[in-house]
Amino acid sequence: MPSSTSSFERLTAADRPGIAQPVPERPVPAKSWAGLLLLAAAGAALLVGLWEKHWRDYGTEPSYVNSKGLWAIQRRRIDAGEGDATVLLGASRVLFDVDLDTWERLSGRRPIQLALEGTSPMAFLEDLADDPKFTGRVLVGVAPDVFFSGFMYNGKALDYFRRESPSQRAGQWLSMHVLEPDLTFLDSDFALATVLHRQAWPLRPGMTANTRVRKLSIHAADRNTHMWRKVETDPDYQHMAQQIWIEDSDPPDAKARAEMDATAQKQVDRAIAAVAKLRARHVPVVFVRLPSGGQYLPIENRDFPRAATWDVLLARTGAPGIHFEDTPELQGYWLPEWSHLATRERPRFTEALYGIIARNGWLAPPH
Amino acid sequence: MAGHALLLLVFFSARCAAPATLVQNAPCRATWGADLVFNSLTFAAFFAIILLLHSLPLPWKARKVNLLLASYVFYAAWNPPFVVLLWISTIVDWYAAQGLVHAQRQAARRAWMLLSVVANLGMLGYFKYGGFLLGNFTALMAALGLHYEAPALDIVLPVGISFYTFATMSYTLDIYLRRAEPARNFLDYALFVTFFPHLVAGPIMRPTELVPQFEQPRRATANQIGFGLALMTLGLFDKVVLADAYLAPVADRVYGGGAPPGLLDAWMGTLAFSGQIFCDFAGYSTTAIGAALCLGFAMPDNFRFPYAAVGFSDFWRRWHITLSAWLRDYVYIPLGGNRHGPARTTFALMGTMLLGGLWHGANWTFVVWGALHGTYLCVERVLRAGLRARFAAYRPGPLAVLGLGVLTYLLINLTWVFFRARDFTKAWTVLRGMLGANGGAEPLLDTFQLLSAGLIVAAILGVHILMRRRTLESVVAAVPAWLVAPVWALLAFAIVISQGAGNAFIYFQF
Repeated sequence: MPSSTSSFERLTAADRPGIAQPVPERPVPAKSWAGLLLLAAAGAALLVGLWEKHWRDYGTEPSYVNSKGLWAIQRRRIDAGEGDATVLLGASRVLFDVDLDTWERLSGRRPIQLALEGTSPMAFLEDLADDPKFTGRVLVGVAPDVFFSGFMYNGKALDYFRRESPSQRAGQWLSMHVLEPDLTFLDSDFALATVLHRQAWPLRPGMTANTRVRKLSIHAADRNTHMWRKVETDPDYQHMAQQIWIEDSDPPDAKARAEMDATAQKQVDRAIAAVAKLRARHVPVVFVRLPSGGQYLPIENRDFPRAATWDVLLARTGAPGIHFEDTPELQGYWLPEWSHLATRERPRFTEALYGIIARNGWLAPPH
Repeated sequence: MAGHALLLLVFFSARCAAPATLVQNAPCRATWGADLVFNSLTFAAFFAIILLLHSLPLPWKARKVNLLLASYVFYAAWNPPFVVLLWISTIVDWYAAQGLVHAQRQAARRAWMLLSVVANLGMLGYFKYGGFLLGNFTALMAALGLHYEAPALDIVLPVGISFYTFATMSYTLDIYLRRAEPARNFLDYALFVTFFPHLVAGPIMRPTELVPQFEQPRRATANQIGFGLALMTLGLFDKVVLADAYLAPVADRVYGGGAPPGLLDAWMGTLAFSGQIFCDFAGYSTTAIGAALCLGFAMPDNFRFPYAAVGFSDFWRRWHITLSAWLRDYVYIPLGGNRHGPARTTFALMGTMLLGGLWHGANWTFVVWGALHGTYLCVERVLRAGLRARFAAYRPGPLAVLGLGVLTYLLINLTWVFFRARDFTKAWTVLRGMLGANGGAEPLLDTFQLLSAGLIVAAILGVHILMRRRTLESVVAAVPAWLVAPVWALLAFAIVISQGAGNAFIYFQF
C-alpha cells in the first residue's frame, strides 16, 4: 500500500533507520546555471522595472515606508539624548496635519513624530508616562473614532521598538538607503495580493463590502508626512477615499452603543492615569481635536458625541485641549478626503496651531 | 553578481518583520524581534558578503573560520546574548564526546552520554517548557485545592534552540551508539553545530552528514551557485508569495478571530493552513539547502511532497524527514521500536509521537496533534497487518490508492486544527465548523480569499501527486533551458512585488 523505500528517486534518512547517515546527495541538473542566472536576473529586473513604471504612471512618488522600523527610529531619539523634546502622538491626522518644518521654524526644535495611522495613542502616552528619560512635552491628537474606541491598527509598534533585533535595525537601514528612495511601488497598497484582493470580486452572500483604506500619504525619513498628490488631484481617487470613511456607517444599535460608551470611559481612565504620571514629572500635555469634515464629521459626532467624550476627557484629566470647532484659526482648511489636510494647508495650519499653544503656554518648557 | 542579484530579488523584508503575524500557539511565549530570516534584506547583504569571503583564495581553515564567525553573527543578529547558549551546547557535547571516546567502562560512557542529554534537554526544558510546566503545576495545585502563586516568568524562547540542541545531541548519541567517530578537530565540530543554513530551523543535520564535508576543501562551482540561487528563489517564493501573501491571511481569518466559522470557512481555513505550513517550512528548507549549495555543501532533503502520502507511515517519510528520522533513531528505536511485540510497538510509537508533538511547542494542543498522529500510525499498523494476513496477494489499484491518499490528507488536516488553534476552545469551534455544526455562522472569507486559497491548495496537491516519486532535480533536468530562465525570473518577480514583510518562518518558534 504505501510506497516502498526503493520507490523514491533519492533516499533520505527516512529510508535508513538506525544507522549513521551518510553525506547527502545534492545533484545539480545538467544545465548552464550561471547563464540561466544571468538571464533570470535580467528578466526579473526588466519585470520589476516595468512594474515600477506602471506605478509611476499611476502617480506614485518616492516615499519612505511608514513601518514600525521607521517609527522605532523616532522613538529611539528619546533614549538618545532628546528626552526633553516635544513629542507628537495621535493617529493619522497628527501625521498629515502637523508640518515638522514649520514647527521647527517656530519653536527652534524639531518635534518627534510618533503618531500612527489608525492607532489610538493611549499605549504610547502610557509608555512616555512610564519612561523617566522623557521630560519633554506631549501633544496628543484626538481622532474620536480611534482615540475613544482604543482601536490599534498599528499597535505592535511599541513592542517592535522594545524588541527590535540587530538584524531588523540593519534591514531598516539598508531598505531606507538602498531601495525606498528609488522604488515607489514599495507600499503595502501596491503589493500584488492587495491589488488582486481589491478587484471587483462578487460579494459572497451574507457579507458586506469592507474596503481597505488606500494609500493616502508620503513620508520623509523622520516621518514628516503629507498627503499624496493623487488624493488631491484625481477626483475619482479622492471620491473613493471619501467613501471608504463613510462605508458601513449605520448607527450603532443599543448594545453596540453601550459597549462603545464603556470603551470610551476606559480610554479616558487610561488617559487620566498617564497624564497624572506625566504631570508629576512636570511634563505638560495638550489634547488637540484636529479638523475633519464632509460627510465624515457628522458620523464622528454621532458615534462619539463631544459631550460624552472630548469634554469628559478634558474635565477628568485636567489637561488643556484645543478643539477645531471652537477655534476659528483651525477652520476653513481644505480636507480633500474629509479627514486630513491637503499638503499646501499644513504650514499655515501648523503655524495657527503652534500659535494657540504658545500663546497659552500649554507646552512651555517644564519649570 | 550573484549576491547583487539576490539583493535585488530579496529586498522585501526590511520593514516591520514582526513575527507575530505567524504566531500560532503558545500565546504566553515571550518573543523577540526576528532573527536573520532568509526573507530579509539583511540576510541578502549578509549572504552576499559570505559568498564573497568564501570565494577568496584563502586557506581552507581560514574559510571555515569565516563560516563559523559568520554563523555566530547570523545567530547574534537576533539577540546577541543568546549566542552563549549555542556555545554551551557546543562545548558540552564536544567534551561529552571526548569523554565517551576515552571512557573504558560502559557506566562511564553512559554517564558522558547522560551529561549531554541532561544539559541539552535541561536548556530546552527551561527556555521552552519552563512557563508551561509552571502553569500546569499551578493548575494541578489548584485542582488539589492548594493555593500556589507561580512567579511571573517572562522567558524569551531562543530561536532555533530545538533544532541545534537536537543536532548537538545526535553528535554524542551517534558516538555513544558507536555509529560515528568524533570530529577530528573542534573547528569542524563547531561549524557542524553552527553552520548558518541549518542552524535555526533545520534540516536537522547529523554529524556524519556534515562533518566529513568540512574535512576537505570545498568550493562551489558556478553551476552549484546558480542552482543554489534557483533553489533559494523557489523556497522564498513558497514562503513569501504562497504562504505569507495568500494562505496565511485565510488561515488567520478563520483561526484568529472569535467568530465561529461555517462549513466552507472552517474547511478552507484549515486547508489553507495545510498549504501555509508546508510552503513556509518546505520553503525554509529549500532556501537553506540552496544557501548551503552556493557555498559548496550538501544538505539533506527535508520534504518529499508529503501531501501525496498514502498512509501515515508514508507521510512521515515525506514530512520533516530530518526530525522524524531523528525521533525514530534516538527515541522510537531505543524505546523498543517494533522488535518486542505489538504492545511495546504501540507504546514506542505513541511515546515518540507525543514527544514529537511537544517538541513543536509547549502547549497541550501540540500534544494532541502528536497523539492523533501516533493513533493514526498505530491503527494503520494494525490494519496493514490484518490485510496482509487475510489478503496477502492484494495490491490496491490506482483508484484505491487515490482514495487512500485523499483519506490520508483529510485526516492530516484534522490534526492541523490542533496545531494551528491557539487553544482547545478554538480547535473545537473549528472542528464543529468542519462538521457543519456551527449553524448560522456568518461568512468569514470573501470570494477572493476562497478562490485564491482554493486554487493554491489544489495546485499544491496536484504538484505533490505528480511529483510523488520524483525529485525536483530530475524534473528540472528534463525541462528545456529556455523555459527555466523565464520561470525563474517570474518567481523572483512575484517575490519582489508581493512585498513580504519579513515575517518569521513558523518553525522558528519551535
